[in-house]
Amino acid sequence: MPDTSPAPSPAATTVPDPQAPAVVCRGVSKIFGRTYAVRDVDLEIPAGTVHALVGENGAGKSTLLGMVSGRLAADTGTVGVFGTEIGAGGPRRARGLGLVAVYQELTMVPALSAEANVFLGGNLSRRGLLSSREMRRRYLRMCEDFEVDIPPDAPARTLSVSQQQLLEIMRGVQADGRILLLDEPSAALAEHERDILYRVLDRLRSQGTTIVFVSHNLDEVLRLSDTISVLRNGQLVETAPRARWNRQALIRAMVGREIEVTARGGTHEPGGPALEASGVDVPGVLSGIDIRVHEGEIVGLWGLVGSGRTTFLRALAGLDRTSSGRLRLAGQPVPWPRSARQAIGSGVVMVPEDRKNGLVPAMDGTDNVSVGVTRATRAGQIDHGEERRRAERYTRYFGFDPARLGAPVRHLSGGNQQKVLLAKWAARDPRVFLIDEPTRGIDVGAKSEVLASLVRLAGDGAAVVVTSSELEEVLAIANRLLVFAGGRVVSEIPADSPHFRVRDIVRLGFHDQDDA
Amino acid sequence: MTPSTLSQPSAPSGGPGVAPPKTAAPGGDDRASRLRSLALRFSMLWVLVLLVVAATVLYPGFLRAANLQDILTQNAAVGIIAVAMTFVIISGGFDLSVGATYALGSTVFAGVTKSTGSVLLAGVCALLAGLAVGGANGTIIARWKVNPFVTTLGISSVIAGLAYVYSDSAPFIVDDVSFQYLALTALAGVPLPIWILLGAFLIGSVLLSRTGYGRNIFAIGGNEEAARLSGLRVPWLVGSAYVMTGVTAALAGMIDASRLGVGQADVGATVALDTIAIVVVGGTSLRGGEGAVWRSAVGLLILATLTNVFYSLNISQHWQLIAKGVIVVTAVALDSLLRSRRT
Repeated sequence: MPDTSPAPSPAATTVPDPQAPAVVCRGVSKIFGRTYAVRDVDLEIPAGTVHALVGENGAGKSTLLGMVSGRLAADTGTVGVFGTEIGAGGPRRARGLGLVAVYQELTMVPALSAEANVFLGGNLSRRGLLSSREMRRRYLRMCEDFEVDIPPDAPARTLSVSQQQLLEIMRGVQADGRILLLDEPSAALAEHERDILYRVLDRLRSQGTTIVFVSHNLDEVLRLSDTISVLRNGQLVETAPRARWNRQALIRAMVGREIEVTARGGTHEPGGPALEASGVDVPGVLSGIDIRVHEGEIVGLWGLVGSGRTTFLRALAGLDRTSSGRLRLAGQPVPWPRSARQAIGSGVVMVPEDRKNGLVPAMDGTDNVSVGVTRATRAGQIDHGEERRRAERYTRYFGFDPARLGAPVRHLSGGNQQKVLLAKWAARDPRVFLIDEPTRGIDVGAKSEVLASLVRLAGDGAAVVVTSSELEEVLAIANRLLVFAGGRVVSEIPADSPHFRVRDIVRLGFHDQDDA
Repeated sequence: MTPSTLSQPSAPSGGPGVAPPKTAAPGGDDRASRLRSLALRFSMLWVLVLLVVAATVLYPGFLRAANLQDILTQNAAVGIIAVAMTFVIISGGFDLSVGATYALGSTVFAGVTKSTGSVLLAGVCALLAGLAVGGANGTIIARWKVNPFVTTLGISSVIAGLAYVYSDSAPFIVDDVSFQYLALTALAGVPLPIWILLGAFLIGSVLLSRTGYGRNIFAIGGNEEAARLSGLRVPWLVGSAYVMTGVTAALAGMIDASRLGVGQADVGATVALDTIAIVVVGGTSLRGGEGAVWRSAVGLLILATLTNVFYSLNISQHWQLIAKGVIVVTAVALDSLLRSRRT
């Protein structure tokens, strides 16, 4: 490192020190609930360089980026920008130090025009009044630079996702920061738009802007970066110059050592087909997906964020009104589900990823299990004893201690909430379970209990479709795996295939994305 | 460049995960849909025009200068508050405390005039009282993130109580002529309250549509998180809107106290509904992020015209109450309906 960082500068000055590294993280951690999203990261990014952060889903890249931009406050450690600590100042403070962030999820204001969104937080004014003409001139020039044609007065909500993403990047460029942070800038862009983005970033780099970006697209990472850092499970695995990396080395560092699959569930023979869907389309997200799940079978879905796996589950559960397809349940054709009520009625339930939205946090476990199920009644009144017994039966099935049923679920740990959530859906006695990320953010013990209970469900004859960003877990229990990439199923791998292992599957997930 | 020259759809985006535009970009190929959206955008203006035509037919004296001046004078107070309320609603908030603040302004203006003899000092005191109420609302809502509905309802009760305590539940009757200057002075033949009303709409309109401040208010109402991440001082901006409603409500109270020569605590019961009605009838969305000051001007004129016609036709106040409520709920329901169509 040529740049030895000076002694901690006095916090009094807010003038950025041009000699200091652009970004310095020291012992930075972020805890969500009980898990470390980012743990003890030390990172130094010299000014004027392009730095990529890569890692699997949930490795902590976006969280780390969020702490650098001031959007999230670090729980431990410090983040410095040009030698000045951001502290608790938030995005405003970071921006004052010349740091501009372009976030992964769009931060457009839907009702404002394209132009107003680009100038959000950086309006040009003269003598107190907006300089509309100057802004229009700059906007049109920026559109030329980006080789796009987005009407300046069009409200953002009328624009496509890729147009909004471009506006988001234009906002970052317009803010004229000395450090530009980009979270998955190209994920929503088409091929030719990506090339434009790369040219713009090349130009900014030549003007001395420091660029830090997160990307799943390894070719893009290798093409743009000076330095690449790999994160795994919230920890920094390795930071090295571009020359020391290639695709294989990156994937190896991201995935870590291959985890041995020891206990595969669903060893019994699957029964007849429980759910067959074909030609499933969700405009703009998914197209032409076929799936067949048998009774007693666990089918895993895996893909990167944005690959469409959650959208697919939502479509099957009647939660996406724009979806279409053909559906057979237990061999009988049924109408494509248009509402959750319809899907549940036909025996298909979705256990959502978000426990906060899947449960009523202030209600106790018994009531949560009973919501939406035909209530047990006696003489017209709710029969609490019966409901309690039912809740006990279903929660125990998922390894929940029924003694805690009386507590408001918001007081339960993530793992216990997950068990209540599963019990709530199991109480509807469905034939098909669609389960999204059942183990996210819960501790190791609860994880294995939840996974074991899914195997038990299948053993009892249910058809289970499960997604997880933690591939090892899916591999441990699934009979088959569908790999999603770019809104399609790119591969279907049975458990007895030699390719049913993390490294091959991750490569598939990335491969298609790069080819697209 | 006109929008239409820019409206060719940008190159097809065939990449993965790229959603097509949800709706055609405005200024798109379909001329009819453009006309429709234009008609929709100014729909409340057409309603006003129809209403004025109807009013002149029903009540031949409607367009007489004296009648128009009456309409504006009677509605100056709520109109001034409505300008500030437009900012609050666009920022995604709501202020139910304007009625109580109006009463407080009225009471303090009259009370201090009575006890000190200085109308100027009384005016300053009343405005400061409004500022304090707005500051309290703004701090609680923007800094402590308390629901604006509950906050302003609670503050409203506090303020009304204070006004009663201060006035000992009796009206302050002021016979000082200078007390009535605020309402009765005429410039170029037009009473001062009307000038203040016009000034408020003009300043509010420029502030909202032509300054960075106004743009930021829109951004907060449209997507508060995006505004925060863009480095805007969200609490300050939100708080400032409540300060505006506080000060304008106090000013409105002063104007009406001056007009009547009386300051009292038991006025203003309908002010909150009236001002919110003006804003939403004009077409500013209660969900925040969309609207305009001119819309509130249209809303004011619609409601004022209706009231005027009702009076001239001798329709009882009770029916007016019913009509006003129906109109407000209809306006909000229409807004909701149009939005659900759009997405």
